[in-house]
Amino acid sequence: MTLLTEPDNRTAAPRARSVRSRNFALTVPALVLLVVFFILPVVSLLLRSVMEPEPGLDNYRALLGSTTYLKIFLNTFSVSALVTIVTLAIGFPVAWALAIMPSRWASIVFAVLLLSMWTNLLTRTYAWMVLLQRTGVINKTLMGLGLISEPLPLVNNLVGVTIGMTYIMLPFIILPLYGVIRKIDPAILQAAALCGATRRQALTRILIPLAAPGMVSGALMVFVMSLGYFVTPALLGGTANMMLAELIAQFVQSLVNWGMGGAAALVLLIVTLTLYAVQLRLFGTARMEGR
Amino acid sequence: MKNTVIIAAIAATLGLSTAASAADLVFTSWGGTTQDVQKSAWADPFTAESGITVVQDGPTDYGKIKAMVEAAGVTWDVVDVEGDYAVQAGKAGLLEKLDFSVIDKSKLDPRFVTDYSVGSFYYSFVIGCNKDAVSACPKTWADLFDTAKFPGKRTFYKWSAPGVIEAALLADGVAADKLYPLDLDRAFKKLDTIKADIIWWTGGAQSQQLLASAEAPFGSFWNGRLTALAETGVTVETSWDQNITAADALVVPKGTKNKEAAMKFIAHATSAGAQANMASLTGYAPINLDSSSNMDEKLRMSLPDMQSKSQINADMGYWAANRDAIGERWYAWQAK
Repeated sequence: MTLLTEPDNRTAAPRARSVRSRNFALTVPALVLLVVFFILPVVSLLLRSVMEPEPGLDNYRALLGSTTYLKIFLNTFSVSALVTIVTLAIGFPVAWALAIMPSRWASIVFAVLLLSMWTNLLTRTYAWMVLLQRTGVINKTLMGLGLISEPLPLVNNLVGVTIGMTYIMLPFIILPLYGVIRKIDPAILQAAALCGATRRQALTRILIPLAAPGMVSGALMVFVMSLGYFVTPALLGGTANMMLAELIAQFVQSLVNWGMGGAAALVLLIVTLTLYAVQLRLFGTARMEGR
Repeated sequence: MKNTVIIAAIAATLGLSTAASAADLVFTSWGGTTQDVQKSAWADPFTAESGITVVQDGPTDYGKIKAMVEAAGVTWDVVDVEGDYAVQAGKAGLLEKLDFSVIDKSKLDPRFVTDYSVGSFYYSFVIGCNKDAVSACPKTWADLFDTAKFPGKRTFYKWSAPGVIEAALLADGVAADKLYPLDLDRAFKKLDTIKADIIWWTGGAQSQQLLASAEAPFGSFWNGRLTALAETGVTVETSWDQNITAADALVVPKGTKNKEAAMKFIAHATSAGAQANMASLTGYAPINLDSSSNMDEKLRMSLPDMQSKSQINADMGYWAANRDAIGERWYAWQAK
């Protein structure tokens, strides 16, 4: 046995290495592109946070020592969390329905989902502005029906940001969830019913636990994307709902204070990477199929 | 969107621009109807006359200007910027000195001429009101800050720039000749009283939309946007009482490869004829003192420079010196 397997091992190992290095060689052009056009500029911006206006941690002190900026951090996290929860609450039933729908219907729903994803973000955000404003379609309809006497404040506040961002994030949670739910064998649910589980038990003890990896990975993705969101909060929120990305844009473009901009960007980057690490740790790359 | 910000930062850092090859002149402004007119009133006739192609780019971005100059990869040759930025950037070494042997400054409104910039056009912040939506229109800044007499939302310019702080102080009773140096504590205290009723506009088109839909039936606007809105059939009332003027400026980022052509373009854009055309089409005032003779009398009377009776000139020198400090405080106050 030893004699037979030894030569195999010897030849197999170098081959695997050469395949690996050949595969790595294939990624070199993409890596070079990333390093030159992404890593280096980002690093140079981040370096400015400790170099401008003078070397030191003054920018971070100013950023973390100010109640205004801390409020913006807090606001960024709470808006992202709220959007994630609402998106999950709406996305889960949709993904479930898609998974059990006849495929012809499902493809129509997918087309609607994807078309909305491919429509320009600004266009969609402006559309919400027109729908939600005090003199907008929604308020006019509700007032016309006599349901409300004063227009509801739906825009330029947290409500507007949540509606707008939830709408934009929905596909990002529905698609991974759909992938996971599709893989759940319907027979398991039937078995549960046969064993006397109520509909509620089947949902809470079978469907949700089985779909949990998809829910968590989708939710993390939505949360991380929300953290860095710019256009929607800027247009649908009031200035009191400012989020981190808007603050960075303000530092970079309006105040031309790149030191502070870099500092804020680094904080956002660290938070994002940490969350990403958590996701990898919990689910690994293999479990994120359907993304 | 995080990606977009990063991509913008990368593009800025490397001074990349997709817009033009070196032979053309690149003119950058703020987009929208104003840049459309800058193209038709300035750039197109300039190209016809000189044979130099003018590529339009935008929007103006001070971060990009700084990045281009620092990276020695300037791709914007002439940029339309705010007046106070022009003064500040000139001092910071980001701009080329203008060549006044090519640009005739003797005919230009001296309020808007520095070594590094000339006026582009000038405008006033005025009080606009959608007459069909309310029973009474505010006439003064004090009215606009009076939520008891004029309940409802009102709209103001979102960015830190000359205009809103001055309006708040005037509304609080500060005499026009005692405005500068600005009493920021007092201004923010006054602004606090109406903060909950403010909807901010970020650009001219949005300001028009807010007024036309009566989302905010009154507010502070660029006068030209009200002129344009009135032409579309909206019943707009404009109050010029204590209108606050500010000007855009034309500048040349330091290190441009087309300096000579840039000077020629500015000379053309600030000429009496080009300025008159621009004013006729936008409702903003010309900065060339000879332009008025080229213009229709009725239109002429609607421009800010005919409203000098109670006019207030925002102090660009003061703003240039305090731009950063005011900006930081302004945005922190907004986010509070």
